Amino acid sequence: MTRALVLLALLGCSPPDRGPRYRAAGATTPRAGGTLRFAVAEPVASLDPAIAYDEMSYYAVHALFDTLVDYAPDGLVLVPRLAARWELSDDGLVYTFELRPGIAFSDGTPITSRDLEYGLERVLAMADSPFTALLADIDGAAAMTEHRATTCAGIIAAADRTLVIRLARKNPAFLAILAMPFATPQRAAHITAAGNQLRRRPDATGPFELVRWDEGDRIELRRNPHYYDPTRAHLDGIVMLENIPRDTQFQMFERGELETAEKLAAPDFLFVMSEPAWQPYVHRSIAMNAFGSRMNVQRKPFDDRRVRQAFNYALSKAHTARLLNGTTVASHGILPPGMLGRDPELAPYPHDVARARRLLAEAGYPDGLDVSYATPNDEETQKVAASLQSDLAEAGIRVHLEVMAFATFATAVTDPAGPPFSFTSWIADYPDPINFFEQRFHSRSIKPAATGGTTNDSFYGNPALDAVLDAAHQSIDPAVRAARYREAERILYDDVPWIWDYHRITTEVLQPYVRGYAPHPIWIRDYTSAWLDLGPGGARVAR
Amino acid sequence: MAGLVLVALLVGTALLAPLLSAKDPLVSDVEHGLSALGAPLSPSSTAVLGTDQLGRDEWSRVVAASGTSLAIAALATLIALVIGLSIGLVAGYAGGVVDRALMRLVDLALAFPFVLLAILLAALFREAALGSSSAPVFLTLGLVSWTTMARVIRGKVLVLARSEMVSAARAIGASPGRIMVRHILPNVIGIVLVVATLGFAQNLLAESILSYLGLGPPPPAPSWGRMLFEGRAYYRTAPHLVIVPGVAIFIAVLGFNLVGEGLRDAFDPRGRGRE
Repeated sequence: MTRALVLLALLGCSPPDRGPRYRAAGATTPRAGGTLRFAVAEPVASLDPAIAYDEMSYYAVHALFDTLVDYAPDGLVLVPRLAARWELSDDGLVYTFELRPGIAFSDGTPITSRDLEYGLERVLAMADSPFTALLADIDGAAAMTEHRATTCAGIIAAADRTLVIRLARKNPAFLAILAMPFATPQRAAHITAAGNQLRRRPDATGPFELVRWDEGDRIELRRNPHYYDPTRAHLDGIVMLENIPRDTQFQMFERGELETAEKLAAPDFLFVMSEPAWQPYVHRSIAMNAFGSRMNVQRKPFDDRRVRQAFNYALSKAHTARLLNGTTVASHGILPPGMLGRDPELAPYPHDVARARRLLAEAGYPDGLDVSYATPNDEETQKVAASLQSDLAEAGIRVHLEVMAFATFATAVTDPAGPPFSFTSWIADYPDPINFFEQRFHSRSIKPAATGGTTNDSFYGNPALDAVLDAAHQSIDPAVRAARYREAERILYDDVPWIWDYHRITTEVLQPYVRGYAPHPIWIRDYTSAWLDLGPGGARVAR
Repeated sequence: MAGLVLVALLVGTALLAPLLSAKDPLVSDVEHGLSALGAPLSPSSTAVLGTDQLGRDEWSRVVAASGTSLAIAALATLIALVIGLSIGLVAGYAGGVVDRALMRLVDLALAFPFVLLAILLAALFREAALGSSSAPVFLTLGLVSWTTMARVIRGKVLVLARSEMVSAARAIGASPGRIMVRHILPNVIGIVLVVATLGFAQNLLAESILSYLGLGPPPPAPSWGRMLFEGRAYYRTAPHLVIVPGVAIFIAVLGFNLVGEGLRDAFDPRGRGRE
């Protein structure tokens, strides 16, 4: 009896197979079929491409909607999608797109340049689309957003398969903007018919179409039968589960109920990293983002550059990296590695407590100072905040943490009278320095408090930086732009409106039979080209 | 005897907590308390019980938590004692309608599932934002755990109220208050001690449950339940985060239960050895 109990206890405690349960069947070329299942922790807000902007909605709309161009797997180069080719006039203002033959909506109706024109004009006319401002450089855009015109003079459907877009002001990032899902073709008839149900009834143009959306629970997509490109959309379907907590996601993944797990909670991440059998299936990618702490440079004590520099010297980037399980790259500015204009010669501020104390003394704070620090209430950010608190304490900076719900936090920090010192992050809308520098540090991005929309929430206004950014915006020569942006990096490196902290690396672990996939720097979870290496009859092959 | 040793050990640990641990239980040490990958460290010569997910010393935390957990259980037991004793005495002595009414109140309180009632109260007290951070916890536990106390004491008092001793006191004109305090109370003290000790063990466990559900003392104050909760996800990579607070809870509850049993045997010789 006793022996049986001991045996039972041992069986119960001995780790079951800790590695993957399944393996790849061993196909050498992509195989069609199968359904890929993944989960997200929050609900999807909308499937209307002109509205969907949050991370969860973006995963779904990117599979549903194709655009003229798309970002290549490295996220920096543009590749053709609905456009077969395009030309830019010598003055850098007029884009002429020739559409690919055979492109169609998911009901089989051919896509024409008029559908593209309508899709873009709809975004310009909408009051509640977060993307309207991205099209501001198009000739006649202002007339539409101010409701002085019902069509945009600069968007011309010249022929069925020719679209011309004329800019009023050069914009070297314009093509990158057109790769965003909101720039997809749409049909007036569908928009009218769908009415207020549009957020649930996408008029798909991409490799997948919607089967059903049980809101808050799951979204089911299936291959768009009329999609033009056989090298994408190998999967029969994609299932996206909503509202599954991160630790549950990993348990489901381990049981084989999900094909992939991303953003692992720290314990699960450590488990995967400690398990050699999982290593070949862990994928990492430096996403287009920047994390740190912003300071309102118009408020005391942050109006003194020496204070801001002292804070940068006081923070140990190594501590943050360790707390986030080594999934970071220390930063010296807002541009992530690989981005045009990032100056590789700049090194992150070293952790130098003595220097921080000296700078504070020079600025008139020989005995240190008290500051409060606002942070949203998610676990990871609070970890980072606690680490900042103890690092800064060493330099005599006494930080009082102010933890807020995310929505409160997001509005509070854009208020000039709100918390002057807080956590901040920037995740690129499109991979171009314009989207980083102009949004966060151009004086034009400080909006009057009453209207809202301030993205430069360090309230940093520097005419010298504005001039450099404007000059870069007016050039379409990458070499010229890179030189200008390096200048901008140096200005911000010395002026430090943020504590530069880290760029986050995305980590995702896949079942061994998921092939043809890696996390994308912009789309993050783009499964449109993935395929499942399954055995005969579409069954998974056990190890 | 074993129970007394365990309890003495626990109380001693709680009282001497600052002397027993060189490291601050609240301060995280990213540089020395975590591996290069940011993992908690296993027990070693530098950290006897290892470190937790923020690099804090697990021994310092479990020792500091003993104070929190014992203090909460003690205050909760005290509250339960005051309520339970008053109701038990009055119901048992008065009998009749008063007794029936009070006992129905006890039934009512018992009819609520213990954990659900505790969660509800803890959430309400938390909303009320009381000054002390652990006040919501011991108030909650005190308010849900007095029922057993009231029942047991009422049963004992019911017998005593009909005893010759009480009839004699009444005959010489003692007031009911005086009889209850001077004659009955000394005779129920034994059973009160037993019930209170066993209740203390119950409260220790209940505090851990509340903390595990996130309704205990707020972080960063350590408590065993909270440590268990925060460490649970690390059960595969850092099992000491689950084992250490788990064993602490086990020892504490076992110790107080043993003492309670011992007291019962001591006060009730006829019941000795019977189960």
